[in-house]
Amino acid sequence: MIRPVIHVAFVFVQIAVLAVFSAADEKQGASSAKSISAKDVASEVDRQILAELQKTGVTVAERCNDEDFLRRVSLDITGQLPSPSEVIAFRQNKDAGKRAALIEKLVDSSEFGLNWARYWRDVIYFRATEQRSRFNQEEFTAWMAEQWNKGTGWNSTVTAMLTASGNVEEHPETALIFAQGAHAEDVAAEACRVFLGIQLQCANCHDHPSDIWKREQFHQLAAYFPRMAERREMKGMPEYEIVSVNTESRQGDFMRENPEMFVQMFDRDNDLKLSKKELEAGPKRIGRRIASRMKDGQSDEMQNEGMNAEKMAAGRIPAKALDRLFAFGDSNKDELLTVEEIKSAQPPVNRRRGSTEHHMVDLKNPNSLGDVIDPKFFVSGETLPRGKSDEERRTAVAKSFTAPENPWFARAIVNRVWAEMLGEGFYMPVDDIGPTREARYPAVLDLICQNFVANGMNPKWLVRTIASTEAYQRKIQSRPASENELPFASATPVPLRSDVVFNSLVQVFGITEDEMNGRTVRAADKKEKKDKPRTFLQSPRFLFDTLFGIDPSVPKDDVMGNIPQSLMMMNSRVFRARMSAGKNTQLSKILGEHKDNRDALNELYLLVLAREPSAEELKICADYIAEVKDRPEAFEDMMWSLLNSSEFVSRR
Amino acid sequence: MTEFSWHENVSLNRQSVSRRRFLYGASAVAAAGATNFRDVMSVQAGELRKQGRAMILLFMQGGPSQFETFDPKPGTENGGPTTAISTAAAGIQIAEGWEKTAQQMNDIAIIRSMTTKEGEHQRAAYQMHTGYIPSGSVKHPSLGSCIAKEIAVSERELPSVVTIGDRGNLGSGAGFLGVDYEPFQVSGRSVGTVPDNVGPIVGEKRFTRRQGLLDKLEGEFAARGGETVVNNHRRIYDKSAKLVLSPMTKTFDFGLETAETKERYGNSEFGKGCLLARRLIEAGVTFVEVRLGSWDTHKEVFDGVKGLASKCDPALSALITDLKDRGLLDTTLIMWTGEFGRTPKINPNTGRDHWPRNFNALLAGGGIKGGQVIGETAKDGMGIVHDPVNIPDLFSTICTSLDVNPAKENMSPIGRPLKIVDGGKPVAKLFS
Repeated sequence: MIRPVIHVAFVFVQIAVLAVFSAADEKQGASSAKSISAKDVASEVDRQILAELQKTGVTVAERCNDEDFLRRVSLDITGQLPSPSEVIAFRQNKDAGKRAALIEKLVDSSEFGLNWARYWRDVIYFRATEQRSRFNQEEFTAWMAEQWNKGTGWNSTVTAMLTASGNVEEHPETALIFAQGAHAEDVAAEACRVFLGIQLQCANCHDHPSDIWKREQFHQLAAYFPRMAERREMKGMPEYEIVSVNTESRQGDFMRENPEMFVQMFDRDNDLKLSKKELEAGPKRIGRRIASRMKDGQSDEMQNEGMNAEKMAAGRIPAKALDRLFAFGDSNKDELLTVEEIKSAQPPVNRRRGSTEHHMVDLKNPNSLGDVIDPKFFVSGETLPRGKSDEERRTAVAKSFTAPENPWFARAIVNRVWAEMLGEGFYMPVDDIGPTREARYPAVLDLICQNFVANGMNPKWLVRTIASTEAYQRKIQSRPASENELPFASATPVPLRSDVVFNSLVQVFGITEDEMNGRTVRAADKKEKKDKPRTFLQSPRFLFDTLFGIDPSVPKDDVMGNIPQSLMMMNSRVFRARMSAGKNTQLSKILGEHKDNRDALNELYLLVLAREPSAEELKICADYIAEVKDRPEAFEDMMWSLLNSSEFVSRR
Repeated sequence: MTEFSWHENVSLNRQSVSRRRFLYGASAVAAAGATNFRDVMSVQAGELRKQGRAMILLFMQGGPSQFETFDPKPGTENGGPTTAISTAAAGIQIAEGWEKTAQQMNDIAIIRSMTTKEGEHQRAAYQMHTGYIPSGSVKHPSLGSCIAKEIAVSERELPSVVTIGDRGNLGSGAGFLGVDYEPFQVSGRSVGTVPDNVGPIVGEKRFTRRQGLLDKLEGEFAARGGETVVNNHRRIYDKSAKLVLSPMTKTFDFGLETAETKERYGNSEFGKGCLLARRLIEAGVTFVEVRLGSWDTHKEVFDGVKGLASKCDPALSALITDLKDRGLLDTTLIMWTGEFGRTPKINPNTGRDHWPRNFNALLAGGGIKGGQVIGETAKDGMGIVHDPVNIPDLFSTICTSLDVNPAKENMSPIGRPLKIVDGGKPVAKLFS
């Protein structure tokens, strides 16, 4: 039996306390939940939700009918519209366990992973600050699809994404880092938002206004990521790589981080100022001595710095760099650099890339580099000493992120998947669930989280569990007017994602994806064409996405559709040709096979909306046919109306 | 001061001030403590002035060289072979290749002391469009979308923000302001004709009939619990249908423009884009951006800019002339700029590299006092000598010209208020 979960209110001031409590919770959950199936968790979820709803006296919607369930679960799990024959077969199936069997079948199909991988593609690339990162989005989608289809634990998947490096096409798990140009602060903020559901980046510039986070905590998180860099190589087409920068290969960074030592190393006339001549002459003996002394130092940090100082001492500064150094650094234009001038010099534009330690900019002096900040994970308080390599840092942060003791990790993904499938989550929006936000049904969320962890954080288990709940299978109702009302008393009709609408159109038109651009693809070309990522950027799916794409982190209520979308659906020449009754189209087939208007209408509704028309709809259509007097023209208009209906682009 | 509290609640109408609005304004002023009728009238006059304000952004993607445009340094090593020409404004010289623009200089102000820290195209272009540096967590709205939200008329058939040319996302979208302020994109090649999908492909009569059928069929889904979705959908379809059937779509069609006019704008894609911008402003659109790419001249900067100037010079000049002739220049602000400037030092490929420290921008119309130069760069072009203008300063200046409150806050989806412009001061000299 499932133990009742002790719900801990999320208003902790001490994060450590939260971590300890949740860890205790999870351990108990883990030991007792091992044997609990998705079905049992689902019924316990339903029992608790129903109990809460009954307390408020809200009317709970009944179970949706088979047609609606089939369309809903197919679109949600695989992103595919059921075909007319599937609709009929499912309706005729008398097996009491047919819904559960269908869920199993869908979760085990390869479209399952692909559908959810496209969801994650949108989550990550919608907020990309590095537009070139679109280059690897198709490889990323394929990689993520594989993880979901294999049932890889979400902790492993996220660990791979946080520790990724290498060529971005060969290592598509670099997606999130590449999308943020490998900038430490941006990657930290995104990783935190996407994987923990916590918006820490407001604390980039100031203490968080409405949360408990301090500015320093954000920078401590960013301090796990300063040694990554994005590198571009031009080989005909540019190729991108995420690399680790563990040594101070750049003298500029050494100079800025150790200005006193830098001046001392070159200052031959002991005036505490450096002239171009002194710099050209190279470091003094003492410089070499400092370097070797540092190298013998005990701590890793000292050793690391020492290595750099030695490298520094051995090298010469190129003439070009010297000119730049004086152009930017010599603020009083006396041809001499002082320690103060070096400290206040505006860092070059790209300095944030590949600096080996993270700096927190002093807001009162934004042009300065600021203090070095050491890595510390804000949830658990785990730390890492300065000087660690990129690999060590990112391995450590991935471990902290994905630890079962970190309650936000499971909460964020469970809440996201639930919200995507039910149109509304325990927390809204899904990427702002921090400690001062309040969850609806917190005990239910904790229950699912515990069992998700106990089941190896397998996303298949999660989707299966959610789809099995009665809460998921209710009839739709318009959203209650009051924001305070408890959700999940009914299903919420929400807009479908771009890929799902695209898949539906491809299926309704009965063509291939490539034919969606209006050209007919010859069989020979089909063979030749390989799925190259760069051609993806010209593919009909991508072009459709530029118009219909929605950020999956935005609450569905805020997604409205827009004018260019409706113009395309209404007036696209490609769509018009596919809706023609005259040529070799799905509509011409229906009209040819069904001479009776009623039968033809039935088929058309099954094809476009995966259901049969109501009596009222049949009457409206019959009247319309009578009014138009031209059967093909009337049917074209009816197909146009169904494709342009809100139902076609919504989950019902 | 409650001056802005009532702007928020009422959509401004560029055509007229309705009686109801007048009364509303009056009561708001009365509540704020202004008691006599003249105070009320002066507030209302401010509103009247705001009517018809609009902006055209000519965005030079890639970072134009300041030396080869409006801050030439002839006879210096860094200046290269580019010579300077005199303009209609006494004492102001600009680079050769901009002869037509030179004739308009009494209507143009040059800012030679623009400065930013972003030296990477995407980040800098994002900043030049939104005023903010990019962040994965917030999609900032572009200044154009913010302006449209403040001063565009909501019930118009044409979209209030239009972008012409390259589709790339440079931070020019509506961000979290949502679809109502999302720019309508016109691709460079379709300029001069009604854009794809805007014309009803089945004839107006059948289009209207279909729409009637759609509306009836939507009833079933609404009754089954989809009411909210259906209502939203209807709202957007009504707007779209209005656009499709509107005579205003003729604005996109150059059918009636004479060959002479097209010639004056230069027959380039950019020139046509500027002509379309003029037509859209005339039709009441609030913000139009026209883009011209290829300014990233790491190689052969002198030849490169010569070619670009030959497209840009006639278009800019014709745009100013036409808006002036139509009495629209006073209310329409034109801005010409890129995301950053280029290095003073000429590189071994006869090119110039990225240089965010100083670059230039042009402003004309919208109450800007022309015939003047703001700021100055060093003789060798290495940095600003006086009056630096950063992007928040520039954006505040734009807001002053368009009578928009730059401190107005928009709420981001995570409940973080963001000002239209964060900091910055308008450049006072531009309005004196």
